[in-house]
Amino acid sequence: MSATAERPGRETLRAALRSPILRVIAPIVIMLVGFAIAQPRVVSPGNLLNIAVQASYLTILAAAQILVLLTRGFDLSIGMTVSLVSVVAALAMTAGGHAGPEAVLFGIAAGLGTGAAVGAINGALVSLVGVNPFVVTLGMFNILLALSSIVSGGFPVQGLPAGFLSLFGGTFAGVPVPVAAAVLVVLVVHLILGRTVFGRSLYLIGSSPAAARVAGVRTRLHLWAVYVLCSGLGAFGALLLTARTQSGEPNLGGSLALQTIAAAVIGGTRLQGGEGSALSAVAGALFVTVLSNGMDLVRVDSYIQQVCVGAIILASLVLDRWTAARRS
Amino acid sequence: MSVEQASAVTPLLVLSGVTKRYGAFRALDGVDFDLRPGEVHVLFGENGAGKSTLINVITGNVAFGEGTYSVQGRPAAGLSPQTLRAAGIAAVFQEFSLLPDLTVEENLFLGREMRHGPFVDRTAMRRRSAKLFAELGFDIPVSTLVGSLSRPEQQMVEIAKALMFDAPILILDEPTASLTDTDADRLFAVVARLKARGVGIIYVSHRMREIRLLADRITVLRNGRRIATIAASGVTEAALVEMMAGRPSGELYPAIRHTPAAERLRIENLATPDGLVRTVSLSVHAGEIVGLAGLVGCGKSEIGRAVFGLLPIAAGSITVDGQVVAAPHPRAMLRRGVCYLPADRGTEGLALNRPVRENVTMAALDTSTLGGGGLLRLRAEKGVAARLLERLSVRPPSPEPPVLNLSGGNRQKVMLTRGLVRPTDVFLFDEPTVGIDVGAKAEVYALMRDLTEAGAAVLLVSSDLPEILHLSHRIYVMHQGVIVRELAGAERTEEAILSCFFGSALLQDATTAGEAVA
Repeated sequence: MSATAERPGRETLRAALRSPILRVIAPIVIMLVGFAIAQPRVVSPGNLLNIAVQASYLTILAAAQILVLLTRGFDLSIGMTVSLVSVVAALAMTAGGHAGPEAVLFGIAAGLGTGAAVGAINGALVSLVGVNPFVVTLGMFNILLALSSIVSGGFPVQGLPAGFLSLFGGTFAGVPVPVAAAVLVVLVVHLILGRTVFGRSLYLIGSSPAAARVAGVRTRLHLWAVYVLCSGLGAFGALLLTARTQSGEPNLGGSLALQTIAAAVIGGTRLQGGEGSALSAVAGALFVTVLSNGMDLVRVDSYIQQVCVGAIILASLVLDRWTAARRS
Repeated sequence: MSVEQASAVTPLLVLSGVTKRYGAFRALDGVDFDLRPGEVHVLFGENGAGKSTLINVITGNVAFGEGTYSVQGRPAAGLSPQTLRAAGIAAVFQEFSLLPDLTVEENLFLGREMRHGPFVDRTAMRRRSAKLFAELGFDIPVSTLVGSLSRPEQQMVEIAKALMFDAPILILDEPTASLTDTDADRLFAVVARLKARGVGIIYVSHRMREIRLLADRITVLRNGRRIATIAASGVTEAALVEMMAGRPSGELYPAIRHTPAAERLRIENLATPDGLVRTVSLSVHAGEIVGLAGLVGCGKSEIGRAVFGLLPIAAGSITVDGQVVAAPHPRAMLRRGVCYLPADRGTEGLALNRPVRENVTMAALDTSTLGGGGLLRLRAEKGVAARLLERLSVRPPSPEPPVLNLSGGNRQKVMLTRGLVRPTDVFLFDEPTVGIDVGAKAEVYALMRDLTEAGAAVLLVSSDLPEILHLSHRIYVMHQGVIVRELAGAERTEEAILSCFFGSALLQDATTAGEAVA
């Protein structure tokens, strides 16, 4: 009884500690401080900007992944979508031999179109045919992996128009384009999830597919559309990455699927569906980027780095299961 | 285990002064409870009174703040569910833990298979499970797939699983919620047998019949506090309900005016591909409640599902307001003012990890008030949610926590808001009071009265016979996929309904009756 007075404050603090975003920001700050002690260059303005740019690509792709995760789905093919879009867009831009704005526009359209097409097929198989998303996107992963090699002949596509490079890789009002793009994507996804019927439906479908159906939610349509949106955003991210590497890269997407899922889960999105947010993409992407950037600068061996990142991904998945089990 | 010798003196478990807080809310407030060997101790109380929390404390699923807890004389506070299970506490919850794609036997031994060296010893398991089933008087073949069993049979398997390793303490959380009276009687026989063996049983139920039949002591909870622990002999239903509610008991079933008007829903020669509904024709008018009675598996719950487009239709037609609905699906039916309220609210009714508010409005996201043009109107949504939680007195009335945090009756009320959140005047209630307490039942019935008297057409599918009898203006009785009788006016008696349960060809045909029960 005597403790009642201080209880509300303590509860608020506890609730804040439980908030997924804060749970991620604290370790990020701790990591930054730790790396900075070992190597002060980590917190130099130049490197912080570098971290922001690096994290923005992952943020966009993780935001795309989160949309699908919310519905109890996966997109394992997102990395390969990035590869194929990169190659297709680069080939489309360079095919005509001239580097005018039409060529750039054509390339962008081809890239986004490729992404949307991949998403439409994934979505149709998951939503209309009812195949498990894991299987669908794993199959798509292999198809896209092969297609990227076939289309590009296995070599990077060079000679991208300067207009494209400055549009997707330059700065916008002093801010690097990728960072501005990531802010925009997170904002848009945040609004979709919080303010639209479509976004609400994603949560409901993920929380209980049967209940969503009984409540008259257009589960099939929304489930299809979310894969299109996911791959479409993936294609947008692919264009930004293509501008960064200054070539169409058939190997661009390598390990992105796992990284996006890790970022989403580290940020607080749940794999069992129905819980997550656009902000978790930012938090998770920053976490992963700060970790690998810091390890680069303190010269951790690259294989050891892979082990560390992999271990943290697994740890985040374990943590996700534990908290889920504790609540039920 | 020498339970028998110690039985006269030592209680199996003792809780004293147990308090559990969620923020400022006290789910349990200084509760004392004990269980003796060989007794049935009933937990009685409204939804949200703290029964579930108490059980979760006993099974170790919830940690409590103050108080003490001991099992068989040893302190048990803070022990994990696994440790407590090993210490002899077996629990059967309302949500089943069975895997439908495995056999009965595999489910019984799931995670604790008997072994012979590194190999699973199937023979020993077969022998053991057959012995247990014989002891309990179950006649389900242990090689059957659990998914192919009826719900009552699954309930039996669930109990057998809990008793597999001779636990001295058994918790049954509303075990008869989904059973017919016949199956419930078999369960009671089992409970009596376990009692005789010295097992202490904590039994959660709202049903007077079984409380009178089984209980030795009754603990009444209200608002997280223990109101009383009393001997069951000699206590009246009225006294119990009064203790539970904290006020004198009124009439449970309200009088409902019967003013039938235009026909709203008409079903003609309906059949489903699975054969559960063969040829059914019925009609529901505005201003009346039409009851649909029958045994488990007679096809009555499939009718509501088929009308709402949740089950495919093989033949027949569904007409709403004179218009034939060719291919019904939930969205189209909701727009026609038809609402189906599923029996299984956990999987089909609610999005459990989403906020209460979103569950209130989920069936109305296509209306212009809440989701016009694909955009959510969040302020309107907040207002609607607050108003409807208040209207159905959902406790706690907060719209933001997940539905997961609410008790069964309050979850049900959240689901029922669906009928009020958009213009709806044809209601298909599927077992609307399964697993909820008397207080919440009365509120659900009052809601049905208000809706009906305001001109709604209500189809009530229920296995609860008194409920059907007291509320319905007309009653259809189903048997094996066919409506065998329509009862109206003075014909609506318990005897008339029961005689139809086993088909019109009737009771002397014992094989038909056996099939119908299974």
